[in-house]
Amino acid sequence: MNKETGMAYALDEASTRRRFINWFLGTSAGAFMVAVLYPVSRYLVPPEVGESTAGTVTLAIKPDDVKPNTGQIFKFGSRPGILVRTAAGELRAFSAVCTHLNCTVQYRPDISHIWCACHNGHYDLNGKNVEGPPPRPLDTFVVNARGNQIVVSKGA
Amino acid sequence: MTARAAVGAAFALLVVLLWWPASTAAQPAKPDNCAACHVRIGDARLKQPAKDYAEDIHRANGFGCVACHGGDETEAGLEAMNPAKGYIGKPGRKQVVQVCGRCHSDAAFMKRYNPALRVDQVTEYATSVHGRRLRDADDPKVATCVSCHPAHSIRPPSDSKSSVHPLRVADTCGRCHADGKYMEGRRVRTDQLAKYQKSVHWKAMSVKGDLSAPTCNDCHGNHGASPPGVTWVGNVCGQCHTVMADLFRKSVHAKAFIEMGTPGCATCHDNHAIREPSDAMLGLGTGAVCATCHAANDKGGQTAVEMRALIDSLAARNDKARTILGQAEHAGMEVSQAQFDLNGAKDALVKARAAVHAFTIDAVKKETEPGLAISDKAYARGVRALDELRFRRRGLGVSLVIILAVIGGLVLKIRQVDRRRTVEADHE
Repeated sequence: MNKETGMAYALDEASTRRRFINWFLGTSAGAFMVAVLYPVSRYLVPPEVGESTAGTVTLAIKPDDVKPNTGQIFKFGSRPGILVRTAAGELRAFSAVCTHLNCTVQYRPDISHIWCACHNGHYDLNGKNVEGPPPRPLDTFVVNARGNQIVVSKGA
Repeated sequence: MTARAAVGAAFALLVVLLWWPASTAAQPAKPDNCAACHVRIGDARLKQPAKDYAEDIHRANGFGCVACHGGDETEAGLEAMNPAKGYIGKPGRKQVVQVCGRCHSDAAFMKRYNPALRVDQVTEYATSVHGRRLRDADDPKVATCVSCHPAHSIRPPSDSKSSVHPLRVADTCGRCHADGKYMEGRRVRTDQLAKYQKSVHWKAMSVKGDLSAPTCNDCHGNHGASPPGVTWVGNVCGQCHTVMADLFRKSVHAKAFIEMGTPGCATCHDNHAIREPSDAMLGLGTGAVCATCHAANDKGGQTAVEMRALIDSLAARNDKARTILGQAEHAGMEVSQAQFDLNGAKDALVKARAAVHAFTIDAVKKETEPGLAISDKAYARGVRALDELRFRRRGLGVSLVIILAVIGGLVLKIRQVDRRRTVEADHE
């Protein structure tokens, strides 16, 4: 190999290396921009999402505030739930959405039933539909009284 | 025969009837010679009942053929069918009711097998159109016990194969009532089954799996089957639709419909082809049932139009609020409290639709007004959430522009510094 040929080879090698570094830096900058802009675009055009699947809520009600033979509506995501303390003192919780036409049910202390005012549907304190048009029982939630807190979660 | 002899004979018969079920029924240990011969007989007419009976609930409870047919199953051969031993053969139509009733009308006896089972079937049957026609006209076509509960393969209603399982009752009744040829010469129509199978009740039962939805017997009775009268259709529907029935009973229409001879609820909702109710049924527009009797220039027509307007208004504003809250939720805004509160507007809409059965504007307005207030409040919260979203997006856009400008400026500055260094290096 003569001297000129050796220099040309060295120049070619340097040029290739520079091109590679430029390409590398260029693609890195591109990747960086994509990494910045993609989340922004997802924020600006959010995907369709279903109903929140949050499975647990801590209620703003203290266990002692729920007297026997009473019930209270609480917020479970954007849907209503109903917390009932039976006459025997047991805490129970159900979805407060009537299984007939989705009205919000309420507690009737006079008959110890969960009751839907829309079409006079009755549920017992196990959430079972016992009278009127509701076709199936209320969905049951799990209630845990932890110290001074009531935690309600969807069943397994 | 003297009166004393007649009373004696009747008493003897009564003793025999009371004694028979307990003595002839429920004897599972005895050899069943009836089935042993009948299953070997070539004649399907005699063979099939014996084969079918193997799965009958009476067989499962230990009753043999003799419980209904009499005779002596311990005897082999024709001696088993000796009339002297109580053999009656195939019971006639009227006899069937007596044979079944012998056990099924005996409360003390039935308690031993199914304490919850009613024992008034024969009494009820006597009040039915079937029972009356059998008794009074000896009608050979009317249903008896075995028409609905096929003899030799009777299953409890809870068994999905049973002819009286809720999903199969309509077909069982329809076997006769949907058969134009069989029902020929009678005043009763034969389109009930076809209509029922288009109804909201059949859909609830067959599609949604709600076995408590009504089928034929829930409105007509089962053993006492007869059409509900014009004056008491509302009582029948009101068994489930209590709110609407109560409102209707106190309304101007309750009396008016009786005077007109139209059948209460069924006047607007039909009887067998009860369709899913919709707001279109109200008012005077296309598909409105009120328009059958009322016009725009009468008070009833005006009330109907106004009730419809109130309901449409609440439905539209509820939808509008739900839509805007949905948009805000999908955009990532926290609007669950507003959505939770909006459930009250939907409740109001359902109650307003029920209140229509009072046929007064005030009753409907009482429900729609709170619903409209809730809808408007929720809509305003949706608007605020979207305004907040736009503000955040604008802020993000502005900060993004600033960040990009800073990056651009830095790039330009770096190039400028590089260029200066190259020039300095060239000078050196």
